[in-house]
Amino acid sequence: MEIQGKILLTYGALTALTLAVFVVVAASSRGAPKPYAEVQPRGYGVRRVWFWSLLAVLIVAFGLSGRLTPYSQAGSVAGEAVSFPIVARQYVFENMPEVVPYGVPVVFNLTSIDVNHGFAVYDSQDRIVGQVQAMPGYANDLRVTFTEKGKYIVRCLEFCGINHAFMQGSFEVR
Amino acid sequence: MSTSADDSPARRIMALYLATGLALVVLLMLVGVLMRMSQAGWIRLTSVDFYALMTLHGAGMIAALVLCGMGGIWYLIRREVAMAASLALWSYGVTVGGVLLVAVAAAFGKFGAAWTFLYPLPFLNPTWPAWSIGTFLIGLTLITLGWSAWCIQVLEAVLRGFGGFRGVLGIDAVLRPKAFALSGRKLPPPQVLPAFVIAFDGLLAAAAASLLGVALFVHWLDPAVPLDALWAKNITYFFGHDLANFIIYMLIAQVYVGLPAYTRRPWKNSTILTLGWWGTLVFLLLAFPHHLYMDFAQPVWIQYLGLGASYLSSVPVAVVTVFGGLLLVWRSGMRWGLGSLFMYAGMAGWILGGIGALLDATIHFNIHLHNTLWVPAHFHTYLLGASFLFALGWVFAMLEARSQDPTRPAMRWAIGVTVLGGIALLVATFYVAGAASVPRRYDVEPDPGPLLAGWGSVGAIVLLIGLAIATVEGARLWRGLRRTRTAIEWPWSPEQATQPGGGAR
Repeated sequence: MEIQGKILLTYGALTALTLAVFVVVAASSRGAPKPYAEVQPRGYGVRRVWFWSLLAVLIVAFGLSGRLTPYSQAGSVAGEAVSFPIVARQYVFENMPEVVPYGVPVVFNLTSIDVNHGFAVYDSQDRIVGQVQAMPGYANDLRVTFTEKGKYIVRCLEFCGINHAFMQGSFEVR
Repeated sequence: MSTSADDSPARRIMALYLATGLALVVLLMLVGVLMRMSQAGWIRLTSVDFYALMTLHGAGMIAALVLCGMGGIWYLIRREVAMAASLALWSYGVTVGGVLLVAVAAAFGKFGAAWTFLYPLPFLNPTWPAWSIGTFLIGLTLITLGWSAWCIQVLEAVLRGFGGFRGVLGIDAVLRPKAFALSGRKLPPPQVLPAFVIAFDGLLAAAAASLLGVALFVHWLDPAVPLDALWAKNITYFFGHDLANFIIYMLIAQVYVGLPAYTRRPWKNSTILTLGWWGTLVFLLLAFPHHLYMDFAQPVWIQYLGLGASYLSSVPVAVVTVFGGLLLVWRSGMRWGLGSLFMYAGMAGWILGGIGALLDATIHFNIHLHNTLWVPAHFHTYLLGASFLFALGWVFAMLEARSQDPTRPAMRWAIGVTVLGGIALLVATFYVAGAASVPRRYDVEPDPGPLLAGWGSVGAIVLLIGLAIATVEGARLWRGLRRTRTAIEWPWSPEQATQPGGGAR
């Protein structure tokens, strides 16, 4: 399963869990009422556990996701990677390569000569495998190592004007 | 600090803000449905019209929900501290004037640079005239002015009424709890915390908006003066993200006051609640860099700051406020009404939108979700599925508290199922489309976008039907209210718990 599917599954599971909690709590309000003073001590105990659990999850997630960023990779492979300088403008990607090598690090060096654009690479399943912004006055490096051959589409993902939805490019990985 | 027994003048001002805000929300929902129907291929909007409507929908919705929050907080603070109604009316007039100018720019000038109007896009598109750019910018300036005046008034009032920064922030209660308890002093009521935090952070956001506004005006007058695109983007999201986020944190004040009326348990301020809002005060301002994760030119430490603040902003919400709300309901024996239903469902919406936001704020996932429909998925969850429901819940809570003829269970079910079901279907299609990498802000979407846009349109139409039924029921309650001569104190306060007839039952 691709990463987007896993994210959606995670979201679905957490949604179900959240709704279950809300339904159980709402259902509890139907029964005989209990004085608030009796409910509070137990509730505060649960809250303490909830606080530390959530904080632990967030700290672990910060540690893990902090290591899985594109920033550390972006500038570190200039010597060994195949580089493609690409210029975005309304509504084309200039200098798009026709063929991109398979199995080796590739760097797309993006800039824009007019407005902000996005550069999102879609695989043959039409799923995003990597993206970066193209901003006027700045250069952004997107590093990708393609592990599947075939045709890839590039779409602009930053709203850039009325033909934004039609700003596309493509290349072949082989 | 004074509590006025007759709060009719303050209530009228709140009603003005709320009625305008909610009417605009419904109007802009119709715009949203048109956009989704066009993406589904049911109707065909031209690209020029689509993006003009998208700009109107985005800017207008944020302003409309902000109006709801402004009116609600103003009323709750006015019940505790004297404030000039004239300034509230001035803020209202200027803000609504700004919204009208934004509407003129979009409707007649076809201005379509989105509500984020990222520099230099407004100036580099041949389909909208220069006057529409100026009109849009003047409209946003008016909204900022109205907002700033509201922030100044509310901030001054809470500081005056509750012992300055030291009193509002509960410094003594947090740092010297024993001495504070022995002194017999009390923390301010919980609704003061969102009022203070939003007014304080709101002024900082308005200052940033003003800075960008001046820069854009200069560039509009003389295009030879360049701006730095990365700087402009940071400033845009500093105030844009904040303003969009303020909405839910403003409207929770209504839940702090409204939900206890149903559970008949007090939602009191505490050291924990105060500490939670200390966190919100900071995290609200620092989370915006997650909008720039895919700008690799951004200094990396700012990206990590955004990641940390985005994660930590969930703690006060999930552990303090929403947990407090659940505890209030747990085994309370409360009687459910439309007001409590919407407020309770809104708290669930806040958590669900927050989970979607946290996943998107994780840099590794953001690579695959950034600027896909996952983004409107999560912000629709907490704007439509939480903020809007809080405002709606507050309106019904006020009606139900003062009406002697409550809503029938069948009617409550009909409204609940259509409104909540419509929202659920609408946002679910956004999430699924986002996970399928369908880009946001495309007037013509790649597959499976059109199919999901069709189901999203169905959800939105069901929601609108539910709102129509809710309006009819609200009018019925309102008529009952006018026939009722018994004045019931509202909002409910814990002191009334022993008094028969106090608050909603």
